[in-house]
Amino acid sequence: MGFSMVIDLNKCIGCQTCTVACKRQWTSNEGQEATWFNHVETKPGRGWPRDFHDMTPPAGVYAQQGLKGRIPMLAESGGRWQFDLESLKPGRYDPQKPLAPKTAEKGNAPDWGPNWEEDEGGGVFPNSYFFYLPRLCNHCEEPACKKACPRNAITKRDDGIVLVDEPNCRGYRFCVEACPYKKLYFNPQLGISQKCIMCFPRVEKGLPPACVGSCAGRARHFGLLEDPESPTHRLVKKFGIALPLYAEKGTQPNVFYVPPFSATGFNADGTPNGQQRIPMDYLKELFGEEVEQVMATLNAERAKKARGEPSEIMDELIRYTFNEAWKLPAEEEFGKHV
Amino acid sequence: MKTTVTLIAPPTAMQPGGYIATAYADRSQPGTSRADLEVQESTAGWTVALRWRAPQAVIDATDNPRQFIDGAALFAPTVKDAPWISMGTPDMPLEGVLWRADRAQPWRVSAQGLGSVQRAEAPAGWTTAARYANGTWQLTFTLPAFAALTVTRQLGFAVWQGAQSERAGLKSVTPGWINL
Repeated sequence: MGFSMVIDLNKCIGCQTCTVACKRQWTSNEGQEATWFNHVETKPGRGWPRDFHDMTPPAGVYAQQGLKGRIPMLAESGGRWQFDLESLKPGRYDPQKPLAPKTAEKGNAPDWGPNWEEDEGGGVFPNSYFFYLPRLCNHCEEPACKKACPRNAITKRDDGIVLVDEPNCRGYRFCVEACPYKKLYFNPQLGISQKCIMCFPRVEKGLPPACVGSCAGRARHFGLLEDPESPTHRLVKKFGIALPLYAEKGTQPNVFYVPPFSATGFNADGTPNGQQRIPMDYLKELFGEEVEQVMATLNAERAKKARGEPSEIMDELIRYTFNEAWKLPAEEEFGKHV
Repeated sequence: MKTTVTLIAPPTAMQPGGYIATAYADRSQPGTSRADLEVQESTAGWTVALRWRAPQAVIDATDNPRQFIDGAALFAPTVKDAPWISMGTPDMPLEGVLWRADRAQPWRVSAQGLGSVQRAEAPAGWTTAARYANGTWQLTFTLPAFAALTVTRQLGFAVWQGAQSERAGLKSVTPGWINL
């Protein structure tokens, strides 16, 4: 066990500040046009890369003989987007031709991309719904990427952070193939695979990962999962209200989600029915059977708060003081871990 | 020496890591079934020519992450009869040269077991000449000094067809050392 993250889906507003903070920090170089260590997608939807959930066998990619994962094609990621920024310069700007991406590989307008389905809902009006799902490397306890690398070029540090040893990587892409979450990316310029590094240079200096520190909705919590004083320990272990995505893939993710509520649904006559619009079956697809109990707990705690009673769980989620959303070891402690 | 070699797919069960051994357990056939080999030794060193069928050449995979660059490698044991399929051992390393279709210069490579291959800049004078025509790669290595081959006079080689997703241990190799 080691560093872990909890993302409260009730507080994610889909602003992509995390996405941009990450992109600017780590993946703005040539060869990384289709690389998003962090992105936020809209659910229900096919996700990014398109239908990524179906690219690995459900029971775990290395559990069954002959069942391989699939490397996403560029088209399934939407391609390597490029923008003609010169067209924005004075004298060249044409309001009839707004800035729009074209793919580097075909020069065409992309038909997919991160959060391509922005704000597209599921359900039938007036019971339509959507929510945002931020995704990044899960820094799994049993990383499929690590087991897939024949060169042992992927390591899991003592603090849980999973890293590609880039000088030792040969770009074989077994890791991309095996990852159920498709959160490794091949960099064709460098000929290597790359992934989220959980901002370890920041974390080692006592700063939260860029996606955590920049979160406008205060949706993200970060810390060591086994540290009782860590917010992630409290949310996952103590309160039991955060769950991993697609746990059935078997890699034991260290990114957890507080499942989303939705507005009340309506009866045919237009009266509110008091039911969540997001179907419980859909939440179970994402977060497993346990989500039903988690929703019941959250409902009970919200009701307490509404009655003016104290709720330790809701106070933790409200996060009155942003800097309490993460707890990091002191800088001098890191020598003991890495 | 001139011969045609029947190639094999190394057993995936021995691949390190755990994933390849199970996910690719059904891969038993090499992507390239045979290759022509011609070896010449002279006072100028070694010249090794390979020729193999490749229906599709891959020299650039930028736009297709499921394709891999074609390649070929020669290896010689530093100690006679060092393990070939498992790529040598720390006590019996292999030395060799690696060509990849997107590069003008080859790499010098060494191995001490599976997954241990290290690349380095090739010595001066090591060159490759590659030509793809009519669905066939013709590749010639010119190696003025190839000490391991000179000492042990044993040679093995591997071929990767990127269009068939061959890379790393997914390759077509000689069944054992070829004695010169």
